[in-house]
Amino acid sequence: MTPLDSTPTPLALARLFVGVALAGIGGGLPAHTRRALLARGWMTEEGFAETFTLAQLTPGPNAANLAAMVGARLSGRLGALTSVVGVLTPGLVVMLAVSVLTLGGTGDLSPTLQSALRGAACAALAVLLTAALPVVRVGWGVRGGPAVVVLTFLALGVLRLDLLPVLLAMVGAGLLLHRPRRSG
Amino acid sequence: MTELWAMFLAYVRLGLISFGGTNVAEMERVLVGEQGWIDAGTLANGFALGQLMPGPNMLAVTHYGYAAAGLAGALVATLGFYGPTALIGAVAALAWERHRANPWVVAFRQALLPFGGGVVLAGALVLGQTSVTSWMGAGVAVAAFLLLWRTRVNSAVVVLGAAVVGALLGL
Repeated sequence: MTPLDSTPTPLALARLFVGVALAGIGGGLPAHTRRALLARGWMTEEGFAETFTLAQLTPGPNAANLAAMVGARLSGRLGALTSVVGVLTPGLVVMLAVSVLTLGGTGDLSPTLQSALRGAACAALAVLLTAALPVVRVGWGVRGGPAVVVLTFLALGVLRLDLLPVLLAMVGAGLLLHRPRRSG
Repeated sequence: MTELWAMFLAYVRLGLISFGGTNVAEMERVLVGEQGWIDAGTLANGFALGQLMPGPNMLAVTHYGYAAAGLAGALVATLGFYGPTALIGAVAALAWERHRANPWVVAFRQALLPFGGGVVLAGALVLGQTSVTSWMGAGVAVAAFLLLWRTRVNSAVVVLGAAVVGALLGL
């Protein structure tokens, strides 16, 4: 664990997440969140991997949950609130404006816009990968980790199994492997 | 008013069941089929717009709410979809911090981290299959990855740049 530079205020978190939201056009919010937090020294690579995984486990749209968790960890209840409001506000405002415009007309997207969207999606995949690799590295370093990483990837990515049974099997196996042993 | 309340509850439910990703199939079933609040075209357009918005992709729900019941509908849909799950997330994170020293929490963390690694890799694969549809697209993805990995350039600049490249190439 490296020492952290400082703890942010709720307002600073709101600003960070507004920035993350503006960066997250086309997806990849967790990746942008990681980049922003690490750049400011507010969270370690390990702390982020842990929070990110927890966010995956709670029900709901990931990006908002991650904001809530990061905010809660760094700055308590108020931090959670400002983080979620921060991450939602920019898109909410733009989406309302766009809704007013498109729902008046036919609402079809132009071919150029669709091409731009596809380009952005490819870059968003790259953004996701830059965030995924550190999380994989942290998980890989745990005892028995590589097997769990590979099996989980195959089950969810290749076989497209349901998340819940895979989660129960993998985390159950991990708990058995790492169960607390009474010393002495 | 009762209609708005029904809408709120429907979006709360949709938010809570989108577990580890968005359940678009269920959204279609409820919003288009069961309730008839929006039509299939609005569902698809809202989804595409959601990808373009700054912030979470599923701000499509704001669009759906607006289409069904104007500004009040948009706010009800957004609050319902994101509010309760964010609250659960915050509570879970705080509980996690409080019991950090408990040996079972330590064990749970060790069990969780490799699983998290597998989940993000699977997510990358699923997203890659839908977003990279051509060799040019793959090239854009690789170039973006190298830029992000090797430099400290802001990721928004990379994504917007890729959007411009995509428009120019006619991806």
